[in-house]
Amino acid sequence: MLQSIIPLAVDALANAALIFFVAVGLTLVFSVLRILNVAHGSFYSIGAYVAASVGLWIVGAGLPDWLTFPALLLSAAFVAALFGPIVEKTLVSWTYGKSEAVQVLVTFGLFLILEDLQRIVFGIQSVYQDTPMTMLGISEIGGIVYLNYQLLLIGLAGVVLVALRLFITRSRTGRLLAAVVADREVSEALGIDTQRMFMIAFTLGVFLAAIGGAMATPTTGVAPGLGADTMVLAFAVAAIGGLGQVEGAAIASIIVATAKVLAIYFAPSLDAVAPYLVMLAVLLVKPYGLFGSGSTRKI
Amino acid sequence: MLTVENLNVEIEGTRVLRDLSLSLRSGVCTVLIGRNGAGKTTTLRSIMGLIPIVSGTFTMAGQEIQQLPANKRAGLGIGYAPEDRRLIPDFSIEENILLPMLALNLPVAERKERLNQVYDFLPQLKEMRGRPGGGVSGGQGKMVALGRALTVADKILFLDEPFQGLAPALALEYARTLSRLRKYRPELALLITESTPQLLREVADEELQIERGEISQLAKAD
Repeated sequence: MLQSIIPLAVDALANAALIFFVAVGLTLVFSVLRILNVAHGSFYSIGAYVAASVGLWIVGAGLPDWLTFPALLLSAAFVAALFGPIVEKTLVSWTYGKSEAVQVLVTFGLFLILEDLQRIVFGIQSVYQDTPMTMLGISEIGGIVYLNYQLLLIGLAGVVLVALRLFITRSRTGRLLAAVVADREVSEALGIDTQRMFMIAFTLGVFLAAIGGAMATPTTGVAPGLGADTMVLAFAVAAIGGLGQVEGAAIASIIVATAKVLAIYFAPSLDAVAPYLVMLAVLLVKPYGLFGSGSTRKI
Repeated sequence: MLTVENLNVEIEGTRVLRDLSLSLRSGVCTVLIGRNGAGKTTTLRSIMGLIPIVSGTFTMAGQEIQQLPANKRAGLGIGYAPEDRRLIPDFSIEENILLPMLALNLPVAERKERLNQVYDFLPQLKEMRGRPGGGVSGGQGKMVALGRALTVADKILFLDEPFQGLAPALALEYARTLSRLRKYRPELALLITESTPQLLREVADEELQIERGEISQLAKAD
């Protein structure tokens, strides 16, 4: 029994980890900036492309293989630094205070631009770079075989969750962000530079999405369309967890990934729709998500 | 200390402040009296930079500040307690009080010192410091908002309708607190808005009447 459940659980958690990175970024951006960034998934796929390209370059240049590990996170940081501030300052900030329709249209336009940009820069061939996964290999505990890279993903997601919670509750910037989430106007009146907070939150959101993409590359090929797939999945997770809920995103990621993995094993034809069936069921019972509420704003 | 000249403000196409001028001086408590909708809150909000103005100048220490973003004005030594308190519900009372100093990034020792000064002046805040901002009564919330504003009010303190919504006994207590504040921080320039002047007679040095966005009468209170 355990022999079959544990590998499924590990598979689900590793998938959940990747979805969590993207969804928690989406939810963070939503709670601070109050916009639903439709282009958020593109930062996942750009993170994936950059990480895969850097990995291929490291291996091609004959550099030590272990360098592909820091390269994953550095690629994500590079994507965040490159896109975060400039996209927020130019396109996104222009939509503040405008209707949701404008925000969705503008970020959807951004999504189309970023998708084409990826085709121009990285081509349409699938890119694959799995050095980090093959390097870590497998381990066998009690007759069950684990992909060590999957365990690394699960561990990293846990670290990111704790780090985010500590950042929000302990650091100065985190507290100011939480204040902006709760009451933007009074925050401004009390001396908080809300524009700066928007830029920080957006860039952090891009970074998280890009981490998800970068960490996914060793397990899967990167091809056009990845951004859109990821976006809808992240949206389902954010909706299930409740928009603006960090821990909610973590739990919802596990629920969605479990649904997906169970579908793959037991009802492969439902693989693509399973997450949305779960989302539908949750929203029917709790319209603001499992942990969300219509009134209080907090992260 | 702060001079407001010919302030004009429109909200959704309607002029709500017309050529409003007033000046605040160190150690002087100015009271702005007017009915609901007369423009009291709008006056404070536009000085704080929370709503765009059509025209007018705010001058502080020889510097025009109307172009400064709102978040830079708190750093000039202006404390502001909005009429509806506006505490952060899931921050503790202490964190709410500390928030403006955190925003201005004051040194930690300084934050602690100012926090203790607030606790000395308003000991009831110390007792409830661990409670969440969303878990205090309206009257307590007003005191927290006052304490929070005081932490950065080096020069000017704005209190927007401090008695609004308070039971008479609590309003009286708040008025006594204001009398104590005058003695505790005699150098402070105060601007208090209210719909009726009765409770403010004790603390007011100067009374301004505001009607339909215009200062209609300037009377020196005795």
